[in-house]
Amino acid sequence: MNEGDLLQRAAEERANIVNKYARGREEGAQIDPWEDPSFEIYHVTDRYGFIHDQRVPQRKDTKEVQLERERAKKWLKMRKEWEQHKLSADKLRRRVYKGIPESLRGTFWSLLLEIDTLKKQQEGKYEEMRAIAWKWSPDIRQIDLDVNRTYRDHLMFRQRYGLKQQALFNILSAYSVYNREIGYCQGMSQIAALLLMYLNEEDAFWALSVLVCDKKYSMHGFFIQGFPKLVRFQEHHEKIMNKFLPKLKKHLDRNGVDTGLYTLKWFFQCFLDRVPFRLALRIWDVYLLDGERVLIAMAYNLLKLNRRQLMRLGMDDILQYLQIRMERSEMEDDVVIESLQRCMEELKKAKLDYPGPPPPDELPKTPFGTFTEPTFEQKVGRRTSELTALERVATESVVLRRQQTEEQLEMDQLSPRPPGTTSNGHHRLSHISGSDGGNLGDQGSKFSFDPSIDDASSLVSRRSLADTSVTSTADLSVFSSVTRSHAQDNSLDTHSNVSDDSGPRAITPTATPRALTPQPTAPSPDVVRIYVPYTSPQPPSPCRQNGDLPPRSLPCPLTSDLNKIRIKVDNNSQEEQTPIVEHGLIKPFQLNSPEIDLK
Amino acid sequence: MANRGGPAQRPNPQTQGKICQFKLVLLGESAVGKSSLVLRFVKGQFHEYQESTIGAAFLTQTVCLEDTTVKFEIWDTAGQERYHSLAPMYYRGAQAAIIVYDITNMDSFGRAKVWVKELQRQASPNIVIALAGNKADLANSRAVECEEAQTYADENGLLFMETSAKTAKNVNEIFLAIAKKLPKNEQASGAGSTNQGRRLQELDGSPKAAGNCCK
Ligand SMILES: Nc1nc2c(ncn2[C@@H]2O[C@H](COP(=O)(O)OP(=O)(O)OP(=O)(O)O)[C@@H](O)[C@H]2O)c(=O)[nH]1
Ligand SMILES: [Mg+2]
Repeated sequence: MNEGDLLQRAAEERANIVNKYARGREEGAQIDPWEDPSFEIYHVTDRYGFIHDQRVPQRKDTKEVQLERERAKKWLKMRKEWEQHKLSADKLRRRVYKGIPESLRGTFWSLLLEIDTLKKQQEGKYEEMRAIAWKWSPDIRQIDLDVNRTYRDHLMFRQRYGLKQQALFNILSAYSVYNREIGYCQGMSQIAALLLMYLNEEDAFWALSVLVCDKKYSMHGFFIQGFPKLVRFQEHHEKIMNKFLPKLKKHLDRNGVDTGLYTLKWFFQCFLDRVPFRLALRIWDVYLLDGERVLIAMAYNLLKLNRRQLMRLGMDDILQYLQIRMERSEMEDDVVIESLQRCMEELKKAKLDYPGPPPPDELPKTPFGTFTEPTFEQKVGRRTSELTALERVATESVVLRRQQTEEQLEMDQLSPRPPGTTSNGHHRLSHISGSDGGNLGDQGSKFSFDPSIDDASSLVSRRSLADTSVTSTADLSVFSSVTRSHAQDNSLDTHSNVSDDSGPRAITPTATPRALTPQPTAPSPDVVRIYVPYTSPQPPSPCRQNGDLPPRSLPCPLTSDLNKIRIKVDNNSQEEQTPIVEHGLIKPFQLNSPEIDLK
Repeated sequence: MANRGGPAQRPNPQTQGKICQFKLVLLGESAVGKSSLVLRFVKGQFHEYQESTIGAAFLTQTVCLEDTTVKFEIWDTAGQERYHSLAPMYYRGAQAAIIVYDITNMDSFGRAKVWVKELQRQASPNIVIALAGNKADLANSRAVECEEAQTYADENGLLFMETSAKTAKNVNEIFLAIAKKLPKNEQASGAGSTNQGRRLQELDGSPKAAGNCCK
């Protein structure tokens, strides 16, 4: 096809789709039989409008509805106060965190978003954009595909080309030309649909527009090419996880569950489809009040509330839990929201509640609502080049993050180890964790950054490993920066050689016969580190000390001794003599004894 | 909601010797039916209004070969071009990929070729790639000829089938063909991120195959 043909085809396709929505369900519209609501005979609708295959439990809802009717009266009064500018921010906040009554949700959502102001400022703009979109929007095809797949289990969106599907199509296509930098991004259709459940078409358009461009929400950075805000928020989330839930973080890392795998939908859609819908509404109430910091706090909150369950699961089940089970769970909305408030406090104290204002690359660069004709490539839906610079940043950062986690894990595997691990069980250390238990208990908790999870019920069998790995976090940060800066030196290869080599394999954790380990619950402070020296650009410097840890000798990169493996046994409790194994012989170990080389 | 064609056979762990685990990623333009194929394969279902995928979704399914149980860890990705930049996160370390196009849409076939190129360049060198021409039930509005796709697949060493998530045609078959083609005795062909997790899980007491290597 030549350019002209391509253009014509794209234009015809667009006109065709637009026509279908314009006609709606009038006579003549072609509608597949399955698209009609009567297609499924038995279904029951819940109070939010979602259609279920089974009867929905009614009792709780009714009671709740009654209670809400009472609350609605207070909220009506509050609206008057708002209009007269007499409403205190405190009172509003308190009430919103308790949940906006369903009957007034739309009213208060538009107040919180201050839709009226924007709408008045830009009168007529919406219709104008909609008309332009029908003629020009290069995103019509994708929008059509997604309208067809958005909340089809909801009464409003059930009918193909029904009123609300028309509205959804209109909003998204109008927005795609109003904000050309975003156009349309998958994920927006659910947001727009949610807004349409509570607002009329035009209001929903302006609500979407506030969410995208107002600095309280700044969703612009989420949806533009390269998702720069997603990357930034994920990094911030990791920071929080490392600080407040380090064990869970490690557990997720070990199971290959990268932050990127579960936060995307949380952040892009403010938890829609990932928690029960009723809870999602409560989160949205709070999000509209307090803005983007709610995303950060809620992500932390969800993991915190579910950490015990998650710690017991492997990769498949973790992802299943986060993707599906959590949405179907019976989490009590009030409990979750109260906990959210505590999380926000906690993060605020740690100055981690707000990831900072958006950097320039997340901000819109061209004014909204000014129409420029799409380029040829845009019109025919063809990419101009490979990835743009912004997109490459995203690619690199997701891959890099995972690589760093893997490196860190490699180091974990090599450095700390559970007490009593031996070389394939041949040379068992005669002394395992055999110092007196009380002493060890203290040591263990000193190194535990997250004592909350150390309750008896959780993970007795993992405990010793978890403890040692947490203990070594600080050491490893020194370590991994070395690894990273020497990525050119094939440092990763060196690591994998280590575990393949018959000598060192003896002490990688894989060989741990856990069942044979006595007292698995009493963590030993003895840690064996294996490290491979790299050529360091700097002369060996005295090792850093970490505030929290006793002054152990941390591994330092050495300039000499390449290709040697060095095992060093740290003995923290000076009285205890830790025996070590060297070439199959058990030797006593003193702190000042020379390090052993395995060649 | 159609419900023809059950999910792939569940293995009987007693009679199975080896268990192998593979990471498989689905790529292809939006709405070609990636999620539908996975849903058919994993649950034996088909939803006309399958939600669009935001980011990616993860599912697992296990299939039996004669003496081996193959467990697929499936990453179903989002098709919109905008999400392309996140794709490496999912295909990194994958041992298999299904690249899906819609036989009624020529553009989606073009897009599939671009994915093949990208995988050949960027993914693990031994990755097993299958090409799926989906929506085979809509042969009336066919835009991509079967022969054309077959030729392309042959030239590029890809497995190829025309599938239909709706009628279940060739859905289990394509996954099985991949399972058969995957190396089951070597060490991790794709040395990917997931291997890490497996090894460590084993350490923690839950017996699992290490990487994709069989026991
Ligand atoms: N007739 C027919 N329709 C199909 C088939 N497979 C999928 N569909 C329909 O095609 C539409 C898109 O399918 P999805 O599975 O959501 O497509 P996807 O590739 O996952 O799309 P994204 O998530 O946007 O990347 C849905 O409406 C499906 O019902 C098929 O084999 N035959
Ligand atoms: Mg999908």
